[in-house]
Amino acid sequence: MDGIHDMGGMHGFGRIPTEQDTVFDHEWQKRAFALAETLAWSVPFAADEHRFAIEQIAPDDYLRCDYFEKWARAVETLLLQAELVDEDELKTGQPTFQITAEKHPPVSADTLVSATRAGAPMTYPADGLRPAFSPGQVVRVKEHAGHGHTRVPRYARGRKGRVVQNLGRFQFADAVAAGTGPDPKFCYRIEFEARTLWGAEACEQDSMLLDLWEPYLESD
Amino acid sequence: MPHDHDHDHDPLEQGIALRVRALEELMIAKGLVDPEALDAIVEYYERETGPRNGAAVVAKAWSDTHFRTWLLKDGTAAINSMGFSGFQGEHIHVVENTDEVHNVVVCTLCSCYPWPVLGLPPTWYKSAAYRSRVIREPRAVLTEFGLDVPAQTHVQVWDSTAEIRYFVLPRRPEGTHDLSCDELAALVTRNGMIGTAAV
Repeated sequence: MDGIHDMGGMHGFGRIPTEQDTVFDHEWQKRAFALAETLAWSVPFAADEHRFAIEQIAPDDYLRCDYFEKWARAVETLLLQAELVDEDELKTGQPTFQITAEKHPPVSADTLVSATRAGAPMTYPADGLRPAFSPGQVVRVKEHAGHGHTRVPRYARGRKGRVVQNLGRFQFADAVAAGTGPDPKFCYRIEFEARTLWGAEACEQDSMLLDLWEPYLESD
Repeated sequence: MPHDHDHDHDPLEQGIALRVRALEELMIAKGLVDPEALDAIVEYYERETGPRNGAAVVAKAWSDTHFRTWLLKDGTAAINSMGFSGFQGEHIHVVENTDEVHNVVVCTLCSCYPWPVLGLPPTWYKSAAYRSRVIREPRAVLTEFGLDVPAQTHVQVWDSTAEIRYFVLPRRPEGTHDLSCDELAALVTRNGMIGTAAV
């Protein structure tokens, strides 16, 4: 979606707040983070679904809210979508209806920490599928972007870049966020000349690298 | 210029703190969350992840040519061999700063970051200013961090758009040949591994 989150290249945000170099400044931020990490198991939801819920926060709220407030709001949205809570419950913190507990078991501390430590690789075997593009090839990023979650930044659309590497097949974020994942697709590292993206204001020798899934790309 | 919008606004703090507390109480009452898991996951990130992990990786790469070669070829496996793994670190690519190339990492769309080796990202990394500007005017942004990149250097900006997370291997400072791995690791900063500092 063409949301406010897709802010690469925008003007007007001022200097970098380099002095803001902490992770958490308030206890509630830790709680908001931890709620997202645990509810991802019991609701459940994927990281891409949580990202998409953040992207759908109204632009003025998106810019005004603390980062972890957005995490908490997105969790509330996902809980509402799953019909596990209602608006009144969120306001009061008091439950007014029961859920089917066996369908949404809470994750234990041990399971959560050991799974977090292990990680969950997002790659899939090529299965004899032929990648559409090869290293060295010039490709163009498609103009189209729908209403859903996507990982093509607006600044890259329609621009030409060179395939550096086929990274293999990865779960496809657009599909995962839409609940139709993993739908694995080849993903490519694409290098763009900075001047292709930003014009003459960029240094001639500078470049940008993006990892883009095959459905985002077309032959030049 | 307008002020940055990504930091806390104190008048709102009480509101969101209460809102998150209500959410936590509701989730426990509904049986969706085990309160011990909430404490455990915060403790895990605070104790087991963070830039000291990444600094150990950098120090080893500076000290051990074979490890450096492996790290640059298969960052995930080399980093896993040091015991660092987990969410947002399943696929890590290490990019090396040299005399010719300076790398800097961003996530313009959200806040993707290599958690096992750097911990959770600092506020500035998630700010609208950094996300919007570092891809378009990287040299001006690096100057704000106190890093002046020579005009002839090739600046490569990595936008973390898919599932791979990026980690910068800084250049080893001059005059450090006598230092141990631990002493070298102490020189490495988080910003050096993002690319917003030299080391």
